[in-house]
Amino acid sequence: MPATKKIRDVVIDGLWNDNPVFRQILGICSALAVTNLVLNTIVMGIAVTLTTALSGLTVSLLRKWTPRVVRMMVETLIIAFYVILFDRALKAYWPDMSRSLGPYVGLIITNCIVMGRAEAFANANTPLPSFLDGLFAGLGYSFVLIAVAVIREIFGMGSILGIAVPYFSSSGWDRWIIMVMPPGAFFTLAVIVWIARTFQKSKAAWPGSVKK
Amino acid sequence: MKFKEKFWFPIFYMFGATLILSAVLLVFGSFTRDRVKNNERLAFERSVLEALSIDIRGYAPSAVHDKYVQAIRIVNEQTPDILGLYENEQLLGYALPVAGPGFWAPIKGVIGIDADRRTIIGISFYEQNETPGLGGEIAKPFFRDQFPGKKIASGGMPIEFRMSATELDESSVHMITGATQTSTRLGKFLNEKLIDWRRRTTEGQ
Repeated sequence: MPATKKIRDVVIDGLWNDNPVFRQILGICSALAVTNLVLNTIVMGIAVTLTTALSGLTVSLLRKWTPRVVRMMVETLIIAFYVILFDRALKAYWPDMSRSLGPYVGLIITNCIVMGRAEAFANANTPLPSFLDGLFAGLGYSFVLIAVAVIREIFGMGSILGIAVPYFSSSGWDRWIIMVMPPGAFFTLAVIVWIARTFQKSKAAWPGSVKK
Repeated sequence: MKFKEKFWFPIFYMFGATLILSAVLLVFGSFTRDRVKNNERLAFERSVLEALSIDIRGYAPSAVHDKYVQAIRIVNEQTPDILGLYENEQLLGYALPVAGPGFWAPIKGVIGIDADRRTIIGISFYEQNETPGLGGEIAKPFFRDQFPGKKIASGGMPIEFRMSATELDESSVHMITGATQTSTRLGKFLNEKLIDWRRRTTEGQ
């Protein structure tokens, strides 16, 4: 990754060209696990975005001091620090959400997106671009997850953010239980990746793609 | 910066970074400790009051706690797990905390029983991590509303969990469709507790 990447490119790459979920297929574990309720997904998205942005900033600030041989340990330490902080804050100030996200907040530590941005970008860039890179990679992750969650909650439970959706919440609609279960996330995510990539291809944003 | 090349520098650096970040977490942890403990206690108190069908919707956390302190206390010092609901020194009902394994993680809740020791007043859950939309529905009104008024059977299963769309009697409730595992496990530990309750109350009479 060139060290002189423009801010504009950082934003567009994070959200679209290099979107962590549908371009890099990272963070799929949590994309499957937390996307059956829109509210949980939004909170999870905020947590991942903040962690990626702040750990990018910290890794970048320390990059000249951190010895190469222990850099991944230091990155993990920094990521774990922010995740534990966020988890604790949820427990103290939003206990209901903390209970419903359960172990998934802690598992952000192992989310490949966070470590991926620290390794691929923050290690070699100045603090502000690193912060923005993490922020927009996190937002790119969040918007795909929210799209998956909206589809799953409507089809599986007939609601969005717990508010009943006309028709889907009526007795005329047989709720798709599979959408609430993990396989529902696989199908939905696959379709979203398919659509997004087809769209990217047609705009020739994909190097080496063949124009039809 | 010659010391950066020394063999001990990475160890020293790692040690220092861990020390500093852990210290920050410890400070934040102790700063929020009381809050977290309060939240856990409040979730339990709320659950006890809900299981006893006391309307606390819209109550502020402090009001919930006040209500709990005023109305709930241990019935008998020898059985600290049985809580009683009192009004003007009169015992109106019992609250039994129940806990056991769910499909993903432990389920903890409270079941409220009338002063007649047989009629269920209600059930509520303060900790569960079942699949939202499936097992997680145990915490929703449509499932919990089945319990009030049911009688603990005098023999066999105290409260039987039956498949949905089957007929119910005064001692049975419907399972949740698509959440057989959660329903079965909940039924198991709930009934173990109620069998114990039935044994204790019949011996006591």
